[in-house]
Amino acid sequence: MSNPVEPQQVQQVAKLARIAISEDSLAESAGQLNQILGYVQQLQAVELPADVKPFFGAIESVNAIRADENKPSTDREQILKNAPDSNGEFYQVPPVFK
Amino acid sequence: MDLTNLSATQLLDQLKSGDLSAVDCNEFFLKRIQAHQSLNAFVDVGENGSGSLAKSAELARTRAAAIDAGEIKGPLAGLPVAIKDGICAAGVETTASSRMLERFVPSYDATCVAQLNQAAAINVGKTNMDEFAMGSSTENSYFGPSLNPFNTGHVPGGSSGGSATAVAAGLAPIALGSDTGGSIRQPASFCGITGLKPTYGRVSRFGLIAFASSLDQIGPMAWTAEDCALAMNYISGHDVNDSTSAKEDVPDFTQGISDSLAGLKIGVYPQFFADGIDPAVETAVRDAIKVYEELGAEIVEIDLPHTASAVATYYVIAPCEASSNLSRYDGVRYTHRAEADSLDQMYMNTRGEGFGAEVKRRIVLGTYALSSGYYDAYYLQASKVRRMIKHDFDQAFQKVDVILGPTTPTTAFKLGQHTADPMAMYLADIYTVSANLAGIPAISLPCGMSEGLPIGLHLQGRSFDEATLLKAAHQYQQATQWHKQRPSMDQEVSA
Amino acid sequence: MISESQREAIKFEDVTVIIGLEVHVQLDTQSKLFCGCSTDHGADPNTQTCPVCTGQPGSLPVINQRALELSIRTGLALNCQIARYTKWDRKNYFYPDLPKGYQISQFDQPICGPGQLSVTDAKESFPPRLVNIERAHLEEDAGKSVHDDAGRAKSKIDLNRTGTPLLEIVTKPDMRSAEEAKAFLNELKLILTYVGVSDCDMQHGNLRCDGNINLHIDIDGETIATPIVEIKNLNSFRNAERALSYEAVRQFDAWQEDGKTIGDAPKRTFGWSDAKQETVPQREKEEAADYRYFPDPDLIAVTISEQQIEDIQSTIGELPPQIRERLKADYSLKQYDADVIVSQGRGVVDYFLAVADGCGSGKVASNWVSQEVLRHLGETETEIDQYPVGAEKLTELLKVVVSGDLDQTRAKDVLAEMVESGASVAEASDKLGIVKVDSSEIDSLCQQLIDENEKVVNQIKEGNDKAVGRLIGAARKINPNANPGAVKDRILAMIAGE
Repeated sequence: MSNPVEPQQVQQVAKLARIAISEDSLAESAGQLNQILGYVQQLQAVELPADVKPFFGAIESVNAIRADENKPSTDREQILKNAPDSNGEFYQVPPVFK
Repeated sequence: MDLTNLSATQLLDQLKSGDLSAVDCNEFFLKRIQAHQSLNAFVDVGENGSGSLAKSAELARTRAAAIDAGEIKGPLAGLPVAIKDGICAAGVETTASSRMLERFVPSYDATCVAQLNQAAAINVGKTNMDEFAMGSSTENSYFGPSLNPFNTGHVPGGSSGGSATAVAAGLAPIALGSDTGGSIRQPASFCGITGLKPTYGRVSRFGLIAFASSLDQIGPMAWTAEDCALAMNYISGHDVNDSTSAKEDVPDFTQGISDSLAGLKIGVYPQFFADGIDPAVETAVRDAIKVYEELGAEIVEIDLPHTASAVATYYVIAPCEASSNLSRYDGVRYTHRAEADSLDQMYMNTRGEGFGAEVKRRIVLGTYALSSGYYDAYYLQASKVRRMIKHDFDQAFQKVDVILGPTTPTTAFKLGQHTADPMAMYLADIYTVSANLAGIPAISLPCGMSEGLPIGLHLQGRSFDEATLLKAAHQYQQATQWHKQRPSMDQEVSA
Repeated sequence: MISESQREAIKFEDVTVIIGLEVHVQLDTQSKLFCGCSTDHGADPNTQTCPVCTGQPGSLPVINQRALELSIRTGLALNCQIARYTKWDRKNYFYPDLPKGYQISQFDQPICGPGQLSVTDAKESFPPRLVNIERAHLEEDAGKSVHDDAGRAKSKIDLNRTGTPLLEIVTKPDMRSAEEAKAFLNELKLILTYVGVSDCDMQHGNLRCDGNINLHIDIDGETIATPIVEIKNLNSFRNAERALSYEAVRQFDAWQEDGKTIGDAPKRTFGWSDAKQETVPQREKEEAADYRYFPDPDLIAVTISEQQIEDIQSTIGELPPQIRERLKADYSLKQYDADVIVSQGRGVVDYFLAVADGCGSGKVASNWVSQEVLRHLGETETEIDQYPVGAEKLTELLKVVVSGDLDQTRAKDVLAEMVESGASVAEASDKLGIVKVDSSEIDSLCQQLIDENEKVVNQIKEGNDKAVGRLIGAARKINPNANPGAVKDRILAMIAGE
């Protein structure tokens, strides 16, 4: 994992993230990614107590729950208004299988 | 009548006494917003003059009239507030300064916006920011950078740079920002105003467009600590719509703000003044320490050994969360869409062109760090180091009430200075990210000037003890004049 | 590699079929898992959504309390360990009916830990099988995509279902045949409906099933396994059984052909084609799925107290396996009969118990409930609480049957009348002209029949007792109220000279 990220790998990760990256900019992206990864590499050297628990959130309380009650839904016309493509009933997207 | 030298508290007194009508107050600030559009403090989507800024102005005018007519009442009646564009306001374009959300009009108010509306404050406009709050200069805004009113050749900081610019330029007496790694405090520091990042969970995140959910927190930006306290009284508290919002009691933050600092223990970590700090910043901060000693505080040296890893920790955790939080911008429901003849290509193109370079960089970084085989080394390891950073603060707050240091290592840098070097930009957050990682409150307040640019003092406090931070900041502002430095706007007008 | 000739020597009967199931159950809540939108079916597209379930910017999830309770309830019914601390994770992938680009699910700390469910077959086509439950976790459902099959037109997206609470129950690969898998699904569904966590309506997708299957083959003391196939979206138990049966044979044939084992091929995804009655490979992404699970920072953990678990446990009541045992032990029912009653649900069980206790015979009550009552319910497509003859009335009728005062055939006539008109036993009997026939009347009736049917009497005397049937028929013509059993007994006794 200390190996630098190759441009090809950047392309794979970008695809996983559904972001188009042009072939021309792959090398630059890989360079920047490697610079940042190189910097965060220092975390591997931090000495940690064996039993340290990861801290995932600044709040560690529990049990924020709500009762099972219905609330009014948003009017369809209003919610579809923001959609780039809809037919008034459904959101529409290009064919999933192509 | 010039209202720019009044604090929000003073302005509110005038509104309450009837010396100033809500309409006059509102018009004064709307005119200034119009007059200083070149600062690019506000986002204006659509046609110039009929875009979202005009829409906000129209809504503000209607509200001001209703307030004067007594139809809308509340403790903040008529007080103009600028809202960072990453915070949703119903019926007004909310873009997070991204091309991706250029078309998005939320149907709901963020909880803090609803709370301010309830108190009868007036939203005068949505302020510019780094796209999705990712950045430290507003240069990552799709709508172009905001300019620092103290020197328009310099950045106002970021990501809440538009809010800082708006307050510093007297376009709004108070603004809301959000802070994920320093995004309220760093621009407050760069623009010579006061900005508070509350304790994580203190202010509801509902309606805040997420960057990194475990770090994001909304807070106030204004000239004075007293104004921040005023705003905190209305935006704090538990929200049933935000599972991470705290059930802690909310004090009246303006009460006790004038209490003596005698006996207050202030911690200073020597490493705050290590390499990389601008000598002028160091001098100003050390002078502030003397002021506090004169105010009766006791200065105690503390150790925060793991904060050396804070920026590295932050630049793993924040991109990981962001990579997931930003997956929803997919061209299906409310975003920009790039047409394509297959779904996957539509996704790729939409996200490829809808996001700016920095956002894409962080999404790719976060996606990489969470992907199969890397999770333990990056996200998990960073979360463990995060525990240690929190532990450092827990230990320190056993000994002291407040931790003091510089907000940023330098004053506002020049536009374009760091745009080619992401890492250099990231290091602008070196003093601020720890508070987000630990979840503690922190405030930045002006403590000096260097070459015409403000210097920020950073105070960090115990969880849910914003009151002590506000008191310490207010007492400092009673003893000093730094918060009264105003930019000369001539430079901008001639520019 | 096993040689072709070695492979050919193996028969399908020699291999062990290994099946594990993943069952998604829609929990019976009014509102969605993280917002207040309705979970009802059948609404117009995109009318049951809000900023939260459509993943609008700035929206945040808040967990539904009842979804948690129903998950715990399910876990207890499946003998699962209930987590005292459970949390939420994001499963990241892109799909247009997944609004946030991630599904909120549970990765490493599911609400229900290991449990088990015992499956028996009333017809004993397989020995009792203990199926281990690996875990059950709570997650949100996705929306619905309507695709153009030709792949030319746009796909349409309806987000009404998005955010509906699902409990995913995952078994260990403990089933050894398609029949066992089907029996497991039946038993699971029965238990879930007993404890009221879901209506398990498969037509509406409230219960969905995926199956993982491969074969273990013993050769020369070594066990080899065929590549695992996951069969997705088995939309009925019958199709689940057919698909798994088909797939087992398909895998065997494929192995005979190419000899590929689990290490040679990745796990593949198949579907079941109703039209072809075959399992068919599904279109797969070229890239391997990488869901990038991590803890959801928008939600906080849930702790579950002992008290909460006890409270839920106390309302669960008796479950099908225990009821079956009780019916066998206390009411002398056979496994099959107990199964028929229990499989009809708690309502029929309660009805049966009331009738059996009232009339004093489990056997008689079982016969009448499983034949008469259930036939009527089946024909009319109604539920037991709509059946016109309440348990008390049927009890009254069966008391007369048990005492022998009314024969089965006449009693059925009475019941039919009761169902038809809602009459009481007495009213129905009156209407049908049924009166009690005393023993002296039976005696004279039998004497008359013996006198008039010499031929039949001779056959009986020669040892052909069955011939008495003809006399019984004749008796009913003379007096329809005469109890055929009593007539038969009396005639045989009289002929025997008693």
